[in-house]
Amino acid sequence: MSEKTEKTRQKRTSETVKNLQIEEIKKTQNVASDQEAVAIWKKKKTGKFWKKIWNDKGFYLMFLPVAIFVILLYYWPMLGIRFAFFDYKPVGPLKFVGLANFQKMFSTNAFWVSFGNTLFLSILKLLITTATSVIVSVFLNEMRLLWAKKTLQTLIYLPHFMSWAVVAAIFSLMLSPSATGMINGVLKDLNVIDPDGSGIYFLANKAWWRPIFFLINIWKETGWGTVIFLATLSGINPELYEAAEIDGASRMQRIWHVTVPALSQTIIIVLILNLAKVMNMFESVFVLYNSAVYDVSDVISTYIYRQTFTIALPNYGYTTAVGLFKSLVGGGLVILCNWASKKIRGRGIL
Amino acid sequence: MSEDKIKLSSEDGESKAKKTKINTIVKKRSKVDFFDIVNYLVFIIIALIVVIPIWKVVVDSFNQVGVYQFKLLPTKFTIDGYRTILETKQLYRPFINSIITTLAGTLAGLAVSTLGGYVLSQEDLKGRSILAYFLLFTMIFSGGMIPEYLVMKKLGLVNSMWILVVKHAVNVYNIILMKNFFEGIPKSLHEAARIDGCSAMGIFLKVVLPLSKAALASIGLMYAVTVWNDYSTVKIYITDPDQVNFQYKLRNMVMDGDTPTTSYNVSQSTLYNAGIVMAILPFMILYPFLQKYFVQGVNVGAVKE
Repeated sequence: MSEKTEKTRQKRTSETVKNLQIEEIKKTQNVASDQEAVAIWKKKKTGKFWKKIWNDKGFYLMFLPVAIFVILLYYWPMLGIRFAFFDYKPVGPLKFVGLANFQKMFSTNAFWVSFGNTLFLSILKLLITTATSVIVSVFLNEMRLLWAKKTLQTLIYLPHFMSWAVVAAIFSLMLSPSATGMINGVLKDLNVIDPDGSGIYFLANKAWWRPIFFLINIWKETGWGTVIFLATLSGINPELYEAAEIDGASRMQRIWHVTVPALSQTIIIVLILNLAKVMNMFESVFVLYNSAVYDVSDVISTYIYRQTFTIALPNYGYTTAVGLFKSLVGGGLVILCNWASKKIRGRGIL
Repeated sequence: MSEDKIKLSSEDGESKAKKTKINTIVKKRSKVDFFDIVNYLVFIIIALIVVIPIWKVVVDSFNQVGVYQFKLLPTKFTIDGYRTILETKQLYRPFINSIITTLAGTLAGLAVSTLGGYVLSQEDLKGRSILAYFLLFTMIFSGGMIPEYLVMKKLGLVNSMWILVVKHAVNVYNIILMKNFFEGIPKSLHEAARIDGCSAMGIFLKVVLPLSKAALASIGLMYAVTVWNDYSTVKIYITDPDQVNFQYKLRNMVMDGDTPTTSYNVSQSTLYNAGIVMAILPFMILYPFLQKYFVQGVNVGAVKE
């Protein structure tokens, strides 16, 4: 509302200025008709416009390297979307096929499996890691020993900065069914599984892959996820806790009635911000999955990767079409989340 | 409820009662209660969960015995794992590639995000909103993996480690972060420099950048981590073993069993774990000192309401 009134106010002022300037031209240059005065005024104004641009040429030049990189990385590839309507193989001519690639995509089971997995894995991952981050930050906030709190924060942030390749290496060694695998070793020592058996190959087992994937995500991202919640919690007015205490609230009650409500808006924002990215899931799956568990792990990006780079005669047209589908769904989500964010906090995510 | 009480009692009496109650609460607070004990115990467990996988990797990297053991320290100490990595060309070459691309990528990323952010922070620049939409549109829609690959192929970046630098040079989110940061710098400083005859570039280099060291550190670190940690870009674009980075080599070694053919006298497990330590070492060393910049980077963008 205030933005609108501000705009109309500005418009009105510029209108007044314009009229005054035209009057001025009429007086000083002895122009009789209004039309001529307006013409002269317009000329002056466009002159000023170009002069301003010329004066600011330094800024436009500074933007040039940015623009070049953006064009090379984003806009030029957008032209390649036309291949979605072609038959495009490494050898042989480019052939227009209309919507055939899309027909093939929608009738391929593996595509639907990967689409379903993308939604399932990334949305559940988002909900689980957000929940664990909220819980950890609420109780971290209750710590009174400042040095203990700081040390813990330093520790739990650490896994976030490890690459997915490293995390996959660490956990595949730990979960390995061979003699080096720690988890299987512990389970055998505790007689949970047959000590003389072959052990569980967690990452190649359809029943185990998803729970392990979520656990690894919790390990890697929970700590870092607390940063934003802790920032919100540090902004809570301490008087609220005092008031609650005077009213006789126990510590759990204070957490439940003061801390948690204070986080609700941040939780919603974090969920919205990340919902916009659910289609992007790639590297975390890419480093952890294998051919034994495609059914439960394959996501759209890994499907595109395999269909392009690991088969003998890839059809770039087909994989471009799958990529276009992913981009469109992802873009729709971004717009939706942007709208939701504007509704909730008055500020978009873009 | 408490409001009713306030109305009933005289103001002086009420505030006195309140004060004594607050005092007792403050006293009570300094004592450790049951809640605290449980809380600390739970967090010790959480800390162990985070640390054990990392600790185990470090221990095993110095351990000659390649079989699972639940030990706090290596049973048979050796540094041959690290020696093998530093002496085998197929292993140290990727490590050097990682260092080169990380340094170059950080510089490129910083240059693009500060330039872009600075131009966008000029409020009276004609066409500013056009430039902003030009950037924002890339966050909504993209060509996708394959058209991107085909363009990079035309640019000669397939099978070259420089793809890592180019691919991460633009991060629209970081450009916006820098723009928000620059908008916080007082306009009077710009004006003063302009009156002194400084050009746009001169103001940027002599006034704006020196005032932005903390922001540059935060964003530079983000770029460094992104480039150093990138595995999938290398996997997609590079097949030449001389051009891959360390993350790629590590993953290939540990998960695909692609160990170097030259003879080495350490167990596979020792070599793998030493590789993992090498891959996280640079950030493990810097992290305690730079943590505040990492956290700051998130807070600059997220909490600015």
